Amino acid sequence: MSASSLATEALAVFAKELRSELRSRVAVNSIGLFGLTTLVAVAYQIGPYQIHEQDRPHLLAAMLWIILFFAALSGLQRVFVKEEDAHTAKTLRLAARPLAVWAGKLLFNVALLAALQAFLVPLYGVLMGMQVRGVVPLIALLAAGCVAMALTATIVAAIIARASGSGTLFAILAVPLMLPLLVMLIAGTRVAMTSPRWSDVLPALQGVGALAGVTLVASVYLFPVVWHD
Amino acid sequence: MPPAESLVWIAGVTTIIWVGLFAYCLALTRRVRRLEGDE
Amino acid sequence: MTDKAAIGFWHWLVGAWMLLVIYGAFFYAPTAQGFVGESARIVFFHVPLAWVAVLAFCVNLWTSLRYLARRDPLDDARAAAAARLGLVFSVLATVTGSLFAKVMWGEFWNWDPRQISIVILLLVYAAYFALREAIADEERRGGLAAAYATLAFVTMPFLVFVVPRIYFSLHPDTLINVRGSIDMDSRMLQVLLAALVGFTGIFVWLYTLEVRLARVLIERQQREES
Repeated sequence: MSASSLATEALAVFAKELRSELRSRVAVNSIGLFGLTTLVAVAYQIGPYQIHEQDRPHLLAAMLWIILFFAALSGLQRVFVKEEDAHTAKTLRLAARPLAVWAGKLLFNVALLAALQAFLVPLYGVLMGMQVRGVVPLIALLAAGCVAMALTATIVAAIIARASGSGTLFAILAVPLMLPLLVMLIAGTRVAMTSPRWSDVLPALQGVGALAGVTLVASVYLFPVVWHD
Repeated sequence: MPPAESLVWIAGVTTIIWVGLFAYCLALTRRVRRLEGDE
Repeated sequence: MTDKAAIGFWHWLVGAWMLLVIYGAFFYAPTAQGFVGESARIVFFHVPLAWVAVLAFCVNLWTSLRYLARRDPLDDARAAAAARLGLVFSVLATVTGSLFAKVMWGEFWNWDPRQISIVILLLVYAAYFALREAIADEERRGGLAAAYATLAFVTMPFLVFVVPRIYFSLHPDTLINVRGSIDMDSRMLQVLLAALVGFTGIFVWLYTLEVRLARVLIERQQREES
């Protein structure tokens, strides 16, 4: 029951996820294509020059996070549903401790979101003519947003995997929980686009960090309950 | 809408709230009584 | 039968108390300065409704956690009842707040941070009921709903305290303002506190009724099963 063995177990779950994902590529495809499609639609319809100079930080920040958010919604919910679908959940329950399962799945979702951001954000920046004055603060914000979104998505995915009609239910349950997060992330991104100073982005970053921390603690307490129900 | 200076609209709102809450209370009480009476 | 008499007495007490509060709200409290007309009098109803909603969600959290610990079906029913009442009172708080916004600022709805956060709150607890509907097995329903309720509750402080602070809000100071003091005429404060007590009484009344109802239904079901 030591911490290091827990970490090993979690990494094993993560590696298993990664391997099965590399084989099937369902999550990567759905997330990536969803993100790309919406990005193309937005860039084609709106583009960089349809927006007034002064509206740019506001609108570009909001649209960036909306694209990321909905792309994430389309892929992150699968982590637990697929175990139930393939009837492998029972085996996994026996093979690994709940906390290790949770950590492994969380790591996988974080990796998925980070890959999405690494692919989509630069593309978005180029296509939409997004000028960022605080690049490093923006990267910090993206990283914090990635972890916070993955945390909420993972525990909600665990909850809905046990209910019927999981697909629609995930959006219904996750969207309101993620909205405060989205509000803070959009506010922070807007600021990072106009100011290079850390101190301006800090309130949003602290808010996101605090929300992520609270979700983390709640998940660690709740996941074993949800997993065994 | 009546002018803001009058009390009418606040009175209207509160009346609606009260009637609603009271009806809710009564409906619940009646249901509980009926079900407990069946026992 | 003393129990029944006591309950009857306490119901009359709540009723009489609320009549007093209504009288006080319209005739005892002075007209507030800095508001359009008499619109500020809605505070005596709006604030207690919002307070009861928060109280209901706290009860929901408490009973949910207790369900997770003890797995008593009645705790699950209690949590559902508290969430239902919380939704009802949130809707009432939204309606009263929106009417105040119309009189004060000319629009029912202007996406003020307070309005955004209450909409999210309504969505969260509506989702709670959507989750309950989607699970047929009772024990699993209780456990998962309790987990979601806990998760929802921990994000609530961000809606209530953090998001409205990031954005500029038209909403008047909450009862205890940022400076930690209460800036209110003493007669208005008396009425407001009385209203808080009264609405809490109504909440307790409704809540106990809901729980009694749930208990009867659970007992009946258990009898049918055995």
